[in-house]
Amino acid sequence: MKHHAPIYVFRLLVLMACSMPAGWLAWQWFCGNLGAVPSEAVVHVTGRVGLSLLMVTLAFSPAFRFTGWVGFMVARRQIGLWAFFWLLAHMLAWMGLDQYWDWPWIRREMIELPYIRYGVAALLLLAPLAVTSFGRVRRAMGWTAWHWLHRLVYVAAGLGVTHFWILTRADYLWPSLYAGALAVLVLLRLYDASAHRC
Amino acid sequence: MPRYPSIPESEVTPRELFEARRGFLRASVALGAVAASPGLFWPRSSHAWQGLLEQRLATELPSRDLASGEAPTAHGDVTTYNNFYEFGTGKRDPETFSHQLVTDPWSLTIEGEIDKPGTFPLEDVLSGQTLEERLYRLRCVEAWSMVIPWVGFPLADLLKRHQPTSRARYVVFESIHDPDNLRGQRRAILDWPYREVLRIDEAMHPLTLLAVGLYGETLPNQNGAPIRLVVPWKYGFKSIKSIVRIALVEKRPLTSWEERNPEEYGFYANVNPAVEHPRWSQARERRIGENGRRETLMFNGYAEEVAHLYAGMDLQRHY
Repeated sequence: MKHHAPIYVFRLLVLMACSMPAGWLAWQWFCGNLGAVPSEAVVHVTGRVGLSLLMVTLAFSPAFRFTGWVGFMVARRQIGLWAFFWLLAHMLAWMGLDQYWDWPWIRREMIELPYIRYGVAALLLLAPLAVTSFGRVRRAMGWTAWHWLHRLVYVAAGLGVTHFWILTRADYLWPSLYAGALAVLVLLRLYDASAHRC
Repeated sequence: MPRYPSIPESEVTPRELFEARRGFLRASVALGAVAASPGLFWPRSSHAWQGLLEQRLATELPSRDLASGEAPTAHGDVTTYNNFYEFGTGKRDPETFSHQLVTDPWSLTIEGEIDKPGTFPLEDVLSGQTLEERLYRLRCVEAWSMVIPWVGFPLADLLKRHQPTSRARYVVFESIHDPDNLRGQRRAILDWPYREVLRIDEAMHPLTLLAVGLYGETLPNQNGAPIRLVVPWKYGFKSIKSIVRIALVEKRPLTSWEERNPEEYGFYANVNPAVEHPRWSQARERRIGENGRRETLMFNGYAEEVAHLYAGMDLQRHY
């Protein structure tokens, strides 16, 4: 398949947009700009970027349907993998930088704090999606099975927003924006399913 | 071990500049005294406490280490990692935006079940109170902690001066309410103004401090200038900042956080590693400036001094 130049540019833009926060974070840490608790800043930024990218991933299919531009479908796996990367980094930052790989305590916090369970569950759901996102696996699975499996992304996004919602202490502005965005994306998906029966 | 973390040479004020500042301060205080003495030029309450307090802070104050000799948390961390939702919910928001808080003139209303109610300029509140420095641990409900050298005086000394009646069972505190200047108050994150309540025996306890200074200087705005409460055995949110009103009452109102989320924030809010919280594990804490975690101590390490206040109470229920 021959891609047009705009698609390459778009993929390049996705690459830059998704990797830039990592460089920024590293630079800010190096400069000592992450405040009194840099590890906390890393956990927060990775989580925010990951959840945002997950939303953007979900938005690529409706964007394709509305605009008809194939670039969105071409870059969907790319951005989905970036979302997974950031959310994995988020969990590892929590386990390593925040909990110092103290496994008994990591286990204890998972048991004691519900929002951590939701977050870990979301990542566990996303892992098989990341693994099966490559062409060869996708073809081996067959379209129907793959499609059903990848609907789990909505469940994972719901768990992610729930995680963010219940860990928020007082100001629900941002969690509400994420919840609202997810609600719109789910409605678009349902509308599309009813219109196309798939 | 040095009293405070050492300051790099580049940040030390040169002696000439220091002395010039002292000279300026003395001159300002003298000028202020002249201007204020007959009460002719402007009302006594304006711009009066800052200079007077700075003068007192410049003298040698008695100092008590009530943090078991632990090193104080770096000044830079104490003043940039704050919860002061009147300026926003981010940890650095208070440092960024608290210059909008107008602290001088400041007055404090003391009312309710007391014999001498009224609204008093801060300089009157401070006059006659013996200031001292106290090194306290501070434990936030968010499972982080610091060691902070406050300057202040016992709340009991102020309350006794205004003579609580026998019906005074609780002490209610209110922070400043000024949405024009406090950007965080423009959104209803909490039911402003911020409100806290202590039982009268907790308020009269000698550890309960009204702080007006930090690290030997007047309180930075982000730490609750010009006057704040410090209750070292309770989670930090009980230590209300920028107080404008103190009322002694018979029946207690809800505190701001209790009203917001009663399952998470109890009235007592005593530091207690055995009472779980849905948001933060309370068994351990991150001491700001340290790696790893510390075990959280019952009553934040002040059990010997305060445990008797709660004798016979089920602290799992009265959290």
